[in-house]
Amino acid sequence: MTTASPTPVTAGGAVYTAVGHDRRRARINPWVVGGLAVYAIAGLIGIIALIVPSLSHLMTDQDLSATFKPPLTPGHPLGTDSLGRDLMWRILGGLGVSICVGLGVAVISIVLGLVLGVFGGFFGRAAAVGTALVVDVTWAFPAILLAIVFAGWLGPGLPAVILALALTGWASFAVIVRGEMLSLRERDFVSAARVLGVSRIRISLTHLLISLFPVTVVMSVFFVSTSIVAESGLSFLGLGAQPPMPSLGVILAEGRDYLSRSWWPVVFAGGALTVLVLLMNALADNLRDRFDPRNRSSR
Amino acid sequence: MRYVLQRFAYAVLVLVLASIVTFMSLRVTPGDVVASIVNPATTPPEVVEQLKERLGLNLPLWQQYWNYLTGMFGGDLGVSLVTKLPVTTLIANSALYTVVLALAAFVVAFGLGVPIGVVAALNKGGWFDRLSLALASFFLAIPNFVLALVAVLAFGLYLRWLPVSGSGSFKHLILPALILAAEPCALTVRVGRTAVLEQLTADYTRTLWARGVRQVRIHWIHVLRNSLSPIISLGSIQIRTLLGYTLIVEVIFRWPGLGTQLVNSILHRDYPVAQALALLLAAVVIISSAVTDVVYRWADPRVRLTGSEAA
Repeated sequence: MTTASPTPVTAGGAVYTAVGHDRRRARINPWVVGGLAVYAIAGLIGIIALIVPSLSHLMTDQDLSATFKPPLTPGHPLGTDSLGRDLMWRILGGLGVSICVGLGVAVISIVLGLVLGVFGGFFGRAAAVGTALVVDVTWAFPAILLAIVFAGWLGPGLPAVILALALTGWASFAVIVRGEMLSLRERDFVSAARVLGVSRIRISLTHLLISLFPVTVVMSVFFVSTSIVAESGLSFLGLGAQPPMPSLGVILAEGRDYLSRSWWPVVFAGGALTVLVLLMNALADNLRDRFDPRNRSSR
Repeated sequence: MRYVLQRFAYAVLVLVLASIVTFMSLRVTPGDVVASIVNPATTPPEVVEQLKERLGLNLPLWQQYWNYLTGMFGGDLGVSLVTKLPVTTLIANSALYTVVLALAAFVVAFGLGVPIGVVAALNKGGWFDRLSLALASFFLAIPNFVLALVAVLAFGLYLRWLPVSGSGSFKHLILPALILAAEPCALTVRVGRTAVLEQLTADYTRTLWARGVRQVRIHWIHVLRNSLSPIISLGSIQIRTLLGYTLIVEVIFRWPGLGTQLVNSILHRDYPVAQALALLLAAVVIISSAVTDVVYRWADPRVRLTGSEAA
C-alpha cells in the first residue's frame, strides 16, 4: 500500500501529481499499516475459529473451577472471565465479528450512498429534493436509536446489526457524493465531454465515478471503523451479538457486571477496540492527505 | 425571513415523515404487543380480542396512525404497557435529567474545546499543540462506553472519588457529563484549530496587524469570530451524536433520563413509550438542525449568496 502507483491520483477532477511544488505524496504511516495487519490476522484467526466447529469451543468452553483467573495464568495469557472462558480466544472471536460487521456495513452503505448520491446529484431538481428528504428523515434519528428499532424489528443478532447500520450509514455518504457531483458537474472536463457528445449517463458512470474514487476509499475506512464501534455498542446494550457468541461489546457488558472482581475483560476488550479505531482513523487521515494535499497543512 | 419560513415548513415535512417511520417500524415488529402484556397461551382468545380492541390494534394501520396523531396534539401519548403510567408523565419525569446531562456535556465540549483549539492553533507545532492533537485523536477513537467503563473502574472502584451510578447530586453528574463531552470536545478542538489556522493566514489578519491592532485582540476577537461558522455547523451535528450517545451513557451510569427509558422500553417492547421517545428525539434533531441552518446563514453572510440550494 505504501508503494507509489504509477497512475496519477485524481480528486475533484485535478491531477495531483502535477500540483505546485509539492510533488511528494503524503505517506501512509507504516506503523498504521503494520498495526492493522496485526488486527487483520487476529480477526482472521477469530473468524476461522468461529466457523470451524472443532475450534469454536475455545471461545465458549466454560471452566467453573478457573473463573476470574488474572492475565498471565498458564494456558490463559489474558486471563479468564466470570465463567472461566479464555479471554484471549474470546477477544480474537470478537475481533472476527467486528471485521465481518465492519466490512458488511461498509460495502452496503457505499453502494447505497453511491447510487442515491449520483441519482440526487445528476438527475435534476426533483431527484435532488427527494434524496435530500430521505437523507433528512434518516438523519432525524440518532444512529443508535434507528439501529435499536431495527434490532427490535428483525430480532437481535448480527444480520440485524449490519442491516441497521448500513441503512443509517449510507446517508452521510450520499450527501458527500451529491456535493462532489454538484461541484464536478460544473468542471471543464465534464463540459468538454458533453460537447464531445458523450451521454449524461456515460459521463456520470465513467468520468464522475472515477473522480469519486478517493472520497469513496476514505469513507469506506470511516464506515468500517464507525460500524465496528456501533456494533460493540449495540452488543453492549444486548441488542447485537447474542451470548455465547463472542463480541467485544458482549465481553465489555459481561465484564462490566464483574468490574469489582476483574478489570481485565474490560481493559483488554476496550483497549483492543480503542487501538483498532485509532489505527482506522489514522489510516483515514493518511489516505485523505494522500489524495488531497490541500488538507495536509491543517491535518 | 422567507428562508426561515421555508426552512421550518421543510422541517415540519421531515417531522411528519419521521413520525410515520417510527409508527410503522415499531408497529410491524413481529413481537406481538398483546403478547407482552398477557400470555397468549393461557389467556382465552376473547380476552385477547378485547385487549386488542381497547388498545385500538384491530383498526387499519392508517387509522391507528391518525388516532395516534390526533391524540398527540391533545397531549395524550398513550399509556406505558409496563408501568401503566401515562407516557407524558414518564417523559416529564425523565426529560429534565437528559436535558441537564446533555447541556452539561455541551457546555464542557465547547467551553473547553474552543479555547484549547484556539491556543493549539496559535502555538502550532509547539508542545501544547501536539499534546492536544494527540489527546484529541485518543478521545475520538475511544468509544464512549469503553471510556465510561474505564472511568468507573478508575474513579469509582479504585480511587473512590466519584459515585458511578444514580443521580442524587452534582457529583453524580460529573462522570457522565465528562464522558459524554469527551468526543464532541475532541472534535471541537480539531475543527476549531483548523478554522483558526485558516484565518491566521488570511489577508485581513495581516492588515489588522499592520494597522497596529493588539495581537490578543486580533486573535480572540477577529479571528475567533470568523472561525465560528464551522464550529456552529459542527454544533448541529453534535446534537445528533450527543443524543445518540446519551442513550448508552445514561444506561451505564443508571442515569434516569430519556435514554434509559428508551432502551428499557425497546427491550420490554413497551411501544407507546418507545414511539413517543423516538419521535421526541427525532423532533429535537430536526428542529435543532433547522435552527442551526438559520443561525449559520446569519453568522456567515456568504452562505446567503451561495447557499440558495439549502433545501
